Formats: sequence, structure tokens, C-alpha cells
Amino acid sequence: MTENATGAVQLLQLRKTFGDVTAVDGIDVDIRPGEFFSLLGPSGCGKTTTLRLIAGFERPDAGRILLDGVDMAATAPHRRKVNTVFQSYALFPHLDVFDNVAFGLRRQRVRKPEIRGRVESVLRAVRLDGYERRRPVQLSGGQQQRVALARALVLNPSVLLLDEPLGALDAKLRKALQLELKSIQEQFGITFVYVTHDQEEALTMSDRIAVMAGGHVEQIATPAEMYEEPRTVFVADFLGISNLMTVTVEATEGGACRARLGDFVLRAARGELAAHGETRVVIRPERVRVEPYESTGENRVPGMIERVVYLGSSEQLVVRLATGDVVHALFVNDGTVRDFSQGTPVQLHFPADALRVLPSTSAFEPSPEAEPSTAPTMGAAADALGAR
Amino acid sequence: MRRVRDWWANPWGQPRFLAFVTWGYMAWSIVPVGIAILFSFNDGRSRSVWQGFSTRWYWGDPNLSVLHDPSMRGALEQSLKLAALDMVIAVPLGVGLALGLTRWVGYGARPVNFLMLFPLVTPEIVMAVSLLLIFVTLYKIPLGTTAQVLGQVTFSISYVVVVVRSRLLSIGRQYEEAARDLGASALGALRLVLMPLLTPAIFASLMVVFALSIDDFVVTDYLSSNESTQTVPIKIYSGVRGTTTPALNALATVMVLATLASVGLAFFVYRRVNSLQRAEAGSGSALREIAALEV
Repeated sequence: MTENATGAVQLLQLRKTFGDVTAVDGIDVDIRPGEFFSLLGPSGCGKTTTLRLIAGFERPDAGRILLDGVDMAATAPHRRKVNTVFQSYALFPHLDVFDNVAFGLRRQRVRKPEIRGRVESVLRAVRLDGYERRRPVQLSGGQQQRVALARALVLNPSVLLLDEPLGALDAKLRKALQLELKSIQEQFGITFVYVTHDQEEALTMSDRIAVMAGGHVEQIATPAEMYEEPRTVFVADFLGISNLMTVTVEATEGGACRARLGDFVLRAARGELAAHGETRVVIRPERVRVEPYESTGENRVPGMIERVVYLGSSEQLVVRLATGDVVHALFVNDGTVRDFSQGTPVQLHFPADALRVLPSTSAFEPSPEAEPSTAPTMGAAADALGAR
Repeated sequence: MRRVRDWWANPWGQPRFLAFVTWGYMAWSIVPVGIAILFSFNDGRSRSVWQGFSTRWYWGDPNLSVLHDPSMRGALEQSLKLAALDMVIAVPLGVGLALGLTRWVGYGARPVNFLMLFPLVTPEIVMAVSLLLIFVTLYKIPLGTTAQVLGQVTFSISYVVVVVRSRLLSIGRQYEEAARDLGASALGALRLVLMPLLTPAIFASLMVVFALSIDDFVVTDYLSSNESTQTVPIKIYSGVRGTTTPALNALATVMVLATLASVGLAFFVYRRVNSLQRAEAGSGSALREIAALEV
């Protein structure tokens, strides 16, 4: 396989409606060549439709799809240099592994000896050499997934589209395949456009992520940026557990924002510092400091421990603040003995550089079912706590 | 006493009562056919008094056996000819219609989908009379083989559409999309992926159409011209009034065996194909369709 410098995908004002439902509502996305790009969002956010538009299975109502600068909107799917790995794999049940992988090459009228060579090398790359004569039904889920990947990769596409390819596998296998997918992507140097509803999966593998909701793109960022600097309430809430609190911004001074939370004043040094009026602040559970009730200083809010959740590698406290807000705090299980029990009064410290102000208006409020519960630690905690 | 009751009605044991009812029904429905078949092997001319075993009514008798009586042999040939033509015409048309109907979304699709089932629910006599009327007065189609084939195809197609469409719906669009994605044209995807996946349904359709055609009496009779286009059911029906010999039973037995063989073959092929494609979504539908439609 040669290094592939092509594979740029640009979506310009892309729009698709089904009857009265707007699945994709004029999105702009710029995917760089060789990038592992994830479309992340809850079900019904338009991510799969976006993928199907790029593949050519759906025709956009408006907007343009540029592949390496060429508009593909009017090109039939079989003429696009784009291949798809389907959620259900869609391996042809009447063909064996070899014929499944060779299917695309035969359509391109590649000569027989070359087909054999290419199929064998791609099967080696996905560690399935020796399985040529098996039928899809004789393979495990993980093996089927790898055949689907090989079937698309063998054609040297500029862009590989993956529609929740790990969705049907169990958690442990998924973990292993995440790393494998990432290394295959790096090895082949192909642009991956990866659709998933699993925030952890997106964070693990992607170079960049686009979080989608209701047909819109909420934010496009690297995994670290997305997690550390969510720009909307939706993004903050969708990625992991976030503590969202409604505050009133009183003033902006010296690179920080003074916000009132009930009877308390918080200083927030991150995010939309120019905000005014009522807005929300967010802090990740692992940044919340839990201190004895007597401690004092800025950004301290008293509360009472409502629940202690043991998660194995970490421990989570659910604290109800004096203002009524519920805040989650997370500790790594590093051997420290902490004396927290239900009903203990504590002071919560929200460090100013961890407290992030979100823009006052956000089109999409997260709905309860938008919470992805597939991430082992965070998800389990959310389940245990009955979500927010 | 207790043991007898436990054997008969033990909630943790076999459902004996249901088994009894089931076997009772089986016996009730099969015994008459069994007796008719038995008397086709009667050595004498009687169809009610057993006079010893022989195969004279099949091929032994030089004048009156199925093999040698020209009217019986003709009826058998006509039946098989109609069945073959019906299969060859109705199945490809039905597959095409099913493909079209599953892809057709929008206004009109629902009513047409419903109308497709119309021949299944129309009383056959109504269909036969209307076909006769319109063939004779409007289309000027000569009665006989041509009219009979057209008539049989008319109602057979509905069955093919039902069988193939249910299979198509369970297959879904994903395999076709995958084929298109890998560079197959629309026609290529149909030929290389959809057709192989439809094989069990097509085979089931062939057998259903065969059974329908072989069994059909009303439409075939109305659209027949004379003695030469009589089929086996017509021959048996008219034979009941005339001189009857066990040859008629033999003819009926040949019919039963032909139908059984066709269904058996369908079952075998279905099992064979299915064991190769087990993972497919919704497998098992085609045979259930045969079971539901067999008349």
C-alpha cells in the first residue's frame, strides 16, 4: 500500500431532510487528508446521515461535498473513491472471506494474480490470513468486523467511512479493536471518518471530533480540546460527566469572570469570559477538590455528601451544595484513605482555572437519553446515580 | 389412577392432550387420501372393494391405465405443460414486481402493495368468470392453452410477489449498498448480491407456483377449450360421473406425488441454501411462506 496524501473531505452547507425531519441542517466540516475524524453524537443527531451523504447513498438537498476539491454530490456511490465499513458489516453471506474481500477488485477488473496478492496482503494486515475459505457465518463478530475493514481497505480508498463499526462487539473486544483500528489507520495513511455515539471511543482514537446534535455541528476540536474546553452546554454534558451550574455573571475583571451562584461568588478563569447575565459554568468531576468543612478561601461552596460510589479504579462523591446544585467529584484510587461518608458536611473547592463559563445561549439542551452509558467508568457512575 | 392422570395431564411433562388432538387431526385428514391411493393399486375395477395388489392402473392395463389411456395421459401432459409455462412466466415477472414494489416509496405505493394481494383474496370462481369474459370478448384470446397459461399466471404472480417481497424486506438494503460501495453498478449489485440471496425465495416461488398450477381447477376449466386442454383435476372431476376405474385414483396419486415432490424439493433446497447463509437477517421466512400459502 502506498502512502496516500489525498483524502480531504469538505462539507459545505450540507443539508438533508427526510419528509418533515431535517436530519442534517446545513453543516460545514473540513476533514484533512490522513486524519482520523469522528462524528460523535446521540442517536438521531444526523451523524449517520452525514456519513451516508459522503458515501453517496443519500442525495443532499443542498450544499456540496468536496473530495480532494472535486464536488461529489452528483456522483453515484460506486464511482466515489470512498469506501464504507457498515455497522452490520454487510458481509455477503453467500461468498467466503476471500471473495468478499476480492469483490471490489473484481468490479475494477483487476487481473487475477494481482487480486490474489492484494487480498492476501490486506488479510495479513488485519490478521486474518488463513481464513480465506471461511464463510462469514463461521467467523466471530470481531473477525467479521476485520473482514469488513479489509474489504474496504483493499481498494485503497482516499477516505474510509466507518459507521459505528464496533457497536455490535462486547466491551473488551471493542477496546482491543479501537487500538487496532487506530494503528491500521496510521499504517495505511487513509482518512477515516468514524461515526460513533460512544464518547470514549471518539476520544481514544480521533485526531479531531465533531460533536453533532439535532443536525448541527456543536463543536469541532481535538479530543483534549473537546474535553477540556467544551464550547456549549451540550458538548460539556455529552462528553463524560460534567457539573453544570446556572450562575449570574456579575462582572469581568482581569482575565476572569465573577459569577454568582446563589449566595456564593465564584471566580471563573476559563471559557466565555465576556458572557453576561444568566449562564452556566461547568467543571469536570476530577477537578473538584473536596476539603474539610472548616476550610476557607475563594470558590469554596459548602455542601453535604449525599452518596459515595466506589468504581474500582476511582471513587465518586455526589455532593449536594447549599444552593441545591448536585456536584460530582472524582478521586483516583491511589491508596489514600479518605474519610468520606454519607451525610458528612464538606467544602467544595472549584479552582478558578478549572471553572469554565459557557455561552449564555445554547440551541440544544442535552436530553436524559443523550447520555452515552457505554464508557465503563463514567457510564457506570451515571447509571449508579440514576443520571442527573 | 394417579399415574394415568399424571401421564395424561402433567403440567411439567409432555402436552399429551395437544399431541392427541394434533395426531387425531392428522389421521382424519390423511386417511381419505391414503385410502384413495391404496385403491389405485387395486387389482380389480372396484374403487371400494379390495381385490389384491397390482400396478395395472398405472401402466399394466393396455387400454385403461394412466399410461395408455390417451385422455388421461393427455391430461397429465397438459397439467405439466401448464405448470411449466406458469413457473417460467410468473416467477420472473413476480420477482421483478417484488423488486419494484419494495423500492417504490411515495404516493401510490401503498394502494398498489395492497392491490397486489387482491388475487389472493378474490374468490377463484369470480376471477375465472371475469377472465373468461374479458379474454373472449375484449382481448379475443383463443381459449385453450394460451388462455389457461395467462389465467394461471395472473393469480400466481401474487403469490410470487408475497414470497419474494418478504424475503427482500428481511434482507434489507445493506448488502446492495455494500455492493454499490465496493464499485458494483446497480445492475451488478442485483446480479451479484441480491439474486444469490433471493435464491431460496425464488425456489420457493417456483414450487408454490407449480403446486398452484397443478392443483388449479376453476380457472383452468373455464379457460379450457375442449378435451385436448383438459388437465388432471378436470379429468378427475368429469371422470367421477362417467365410467370410473381405479385408474382415476392412480391419476390422482400421481398428482399428489408430484405436489409432494415439489414441496419436498423446495424444502431441501431451502435448507441447503439456508445452512450456507445462516447469519442472514430474517432467514426462515421463505419456507414459512410456502407453508402459509400451500393450498
